Amino acid sequence: MNTAAGACFHCGEALPAQPPRMVVDDVPRDFCCPGCATAAQWIRDAGLAQYYTLRQSNPARSTESGDDFAEWLHPDIVSAHVQAVAGGLEITVAVRELRCAACAWLIDRFLVRLDASVDVSANAATSRVRLRWNPQRIALPVLLQQMAALGFAPTLAGSPAQQREEQRQHRRELLRLGVAGLGAMQAMMFAEALYLDTAGQMAPATRDFLRWTAVLLSTPVVFYAGWPFIAGLLRDLRRGALSMDLLAGSAILLAYAASLIETLRGGAHIWIDAAVMFVFLLLAARQLEAWARRRARARTEALAQAVPAFASREGSDGSTQRVPVTQVRAGDVLRVAAGEALPADGVLLDAPAALDESLLSGEALPQRREPGERVLAGSSCGDAPLRLRVSQAGAATQLAALVRLVDQAQAQRPQLARLADRVAAWFIGGLLAAAALTFVLWWPTDPTRAFEIMLAVLVVSCPCALSLAVPAALAAAQDSLARLGVLVLRADALDTLARVDVLLLDKTGTLTTSKSQLREVSLYSSHDRAQVLQLASALQAGATHPLAAAFAEAANEPLAVSDWRRVAGQGVQASFAGHSYRLGRAEFAVGGADDGAVWLGDGRKPFARFGIGQHLRADAAAMAQALRAQGVQLELASGDAAAAVAEIAEALGIAQFRARQSPPDKLARARELQAQGRVVAMLGDGINDAPVLAGANVSFAFAEGAVTTHRAADFLLTGSSLLRVPEAIAIARRTRRIVRQNLAWALAYNALALPFAAAGWIAPGLAALGMTTSSLLVVLNALRLRRVKT
Amino acid sequence: MTMLLLLVPISVLLLGAAIGAFVWAVRGGQFDDLDTAPLQILADDPNPSDAD
Repeated sequence: MNTAAGACFHCGEALPAQPPRMVVDDVPRDFCCPGCATAAQWIRDAGLAQYYTLRQSNPARSTESGDDFAEWLHPDIVSAHVQAVAGGLEITVAVRELRCAACAWLIDRFLVRLDASVDVSANAATSRVRLRWNPQRIALPVLLQQMAALGFAPTLAGSPAQQREEQRQHRRELLRLGVAGLGAMQAMMFAEALYLDTAGQMAPATRDFLRWTAVLLSTPVVFYAGWPFIAGLLRDLRRGALSMDLLAGSAILLAYAASLIETLRGGAHIWIDAAVMFVFLLLAARQLEAWARRRARARTEALAQAVPAFASREGSDGSTQRVPVTQVRAGDVLRVAAGEALPADGVLLDAPAALDESLLSGEALPQRREPGERVLAGSSCGDAPLRLRVSQAGAATQLAALVRLVDQAQAQRPQLARLADRVAAWFIGGLLAAAALTFVLWWPTDPTRAFEIMLAVLVVSCPCALSLAVPAALAAAQDSLARLGVLVLRADALDTLARVDVLLLDKTGTLTTSKSQLREVSLYSSHDRAQVLQLASALQAGATHPLAAAFAEAANEPLAVSDWRRVAGQGVQASFAGHSYRLGRAEFAVGGADDGAVWLGDGRKPFARFGIGQHLRADAAAMAQALRAQGVQLELASGDAAAAVAEIAEALGIAQFRARQSPPDKLARARELQAQGRVVAMLGDGINDAPVLAGANVSFAFAEGAVTTHRAADFLLTGSSLLRVPEAIAIARRTRRIVRQNLAWALAYNALALPFAAAGWIAPGLAALGMTTSSLLVVLNALRLRRVKT
Repeated sequence: MTMLLLLVPISVLLLGAAIGAFVWAVRGGQFDDLDTAPLQILADDPNPSDAD
């Protein structure tokens, strides 16, 4: 991704009026802040400027903030995360910004230059970096500081034991698939040779030799690669349940056992090809799905963590100490630096503070809290540091309660999935009964053929194509969605997505960017527009007010004001060139009634009125249009005030909107629509949306949003483009069409072949061939989904 | 057909070698990250003298 003009060359954020400038690759580049410029300078001076041409996504804005990572040397952290390895120590950290291979390359190259003992392996697929270093030569905090300075701030990853387990599992699955593929190919070569002997002219010795080889080769395929199916069969037998594993496992084992017996006694046929083909194809379909899922999960885990891993705790003597957040107890006094997230719920001390609670409440603008007021974990501190006395920590916080709410909402959902399981169980039970009946009916007339015919029925009817019809299409659809930047967290949600006819939207942060924007300026005096903006900007400069940024962008030359003073809850006042100015709410600045706008005045006389609005995302209108073309109705449900919501709704042509909606209200609205028979999709990003995300039929969340929403969502948008939603719906509808074609084909094939097999007209080999052709057809049909216009 | 007595065991041995190589590659972490490696081939070390 090459950075657009007017954006920071390093991180892609908007440029200030006078950006720092530096030459990279012989071209002068602009940066948003000195931090990014420094990062780029390091990258250039280290001879790594190639990063900028290779990368596919931007890193975070670099900060020069003084996090020294010294707390990573805390004994609790060291014992839980750091391991001793040959030649030093090892830690695995999660890096949220690590999204493309070029970032991984940059981190790798940059850290290795610091000290020869450092060994880095950065994995873009899982957003993890494994660091190995020699503690005698370089300290861990130095390495972490360097990563943070590059714009890749490390956070604690999950426990090392869990990571090792995941890696072990991944490798085990890969080995199973590889063994199944290689073994099945070779075993089928010999089975094919046996089939080609249609006239039975092969010498018995040659035939038995080939049979023994085929059986030998298929043994690891069946018992090692096919173990998941056999284990599933055993589990089903123990619990008395019926699942696809029961059918697949019994067909595999029967085909293998019968082939072995026939080889031993020199019978007419062996069916080893049916067994190995079954194992390989089913395993491949399952693995594709499992890997897509794991990839999505690894990414979400590394994303924004609402609660930080460390907190600064104040000791009784007034000194502060960085401690892991798990050690924070009620009654502790914590310090939170500007821009950091609050580690626990508590009561604000000392001074008022502006807190960004958008994740918790859905309010876009930072909220002002007075000393003594309650502040919540997960909200982030504004421009000034604050102190708080912890009232609840860990699982007792409001954030944790919301997470539990999500869990409950999720537990109610998969009724449809359970129904599908029950239907499948009946289907499989019916097939097993049909196979058994065939055997019983054939036994009196022709005992020599009874087993062969039963096996043919089992193989022919075993819904291999049927079982592949859905997963193959889902895996292909997931693949194309992932390439678009839509991660599928719950595969069966694709079917629901295709049926969606209402999309509930959350305004805050979903349709708008988090920055507030100066909408309109009305003048009431001889001052012109530039002057009032300059004045407002100067007055706001010292304030932590959230609107300060809106003015700062509009004016470029700061004025020097004196006697600056803030009036709590009202606004600011200051003197400039002998005049006193006030900026803030109407009753404070101009003596009028509050109308939600910001006024500039001298206390009585108004000079200007500033309408502050939220900035609509560039592609919101295009999304609304695309969705309407798909026949999806749009509805807004926001926690914001009526005026703001109505404005957005009008801009997008949305007729239905609700303002001041609490999470239970939004959930009730979703339930109401569902009661009318509508299929509801929800797009949200705040923790307050999490219950609705879980309660809606299908839901989208932004990867940048809160982690709790990821757990509730079915789809995760990794980019910020809203157009991905209609695109995902289009793919889901194509997927549904292909799944239907596949199911129709597989069912028709099974229905046709079953009577023939039961009548004894199809040999197991032929049944296996037909089954494979049928399976191949559905897989190829499913792969059409991978063609995606990007 | 006696040739089969030689050729079939050879094919089985080759299969064993292929599976062995695959197991070695998976255990060695060759398949853990398939995204980063393809890019590294594009990146020249601009200062080979720095390499130690």
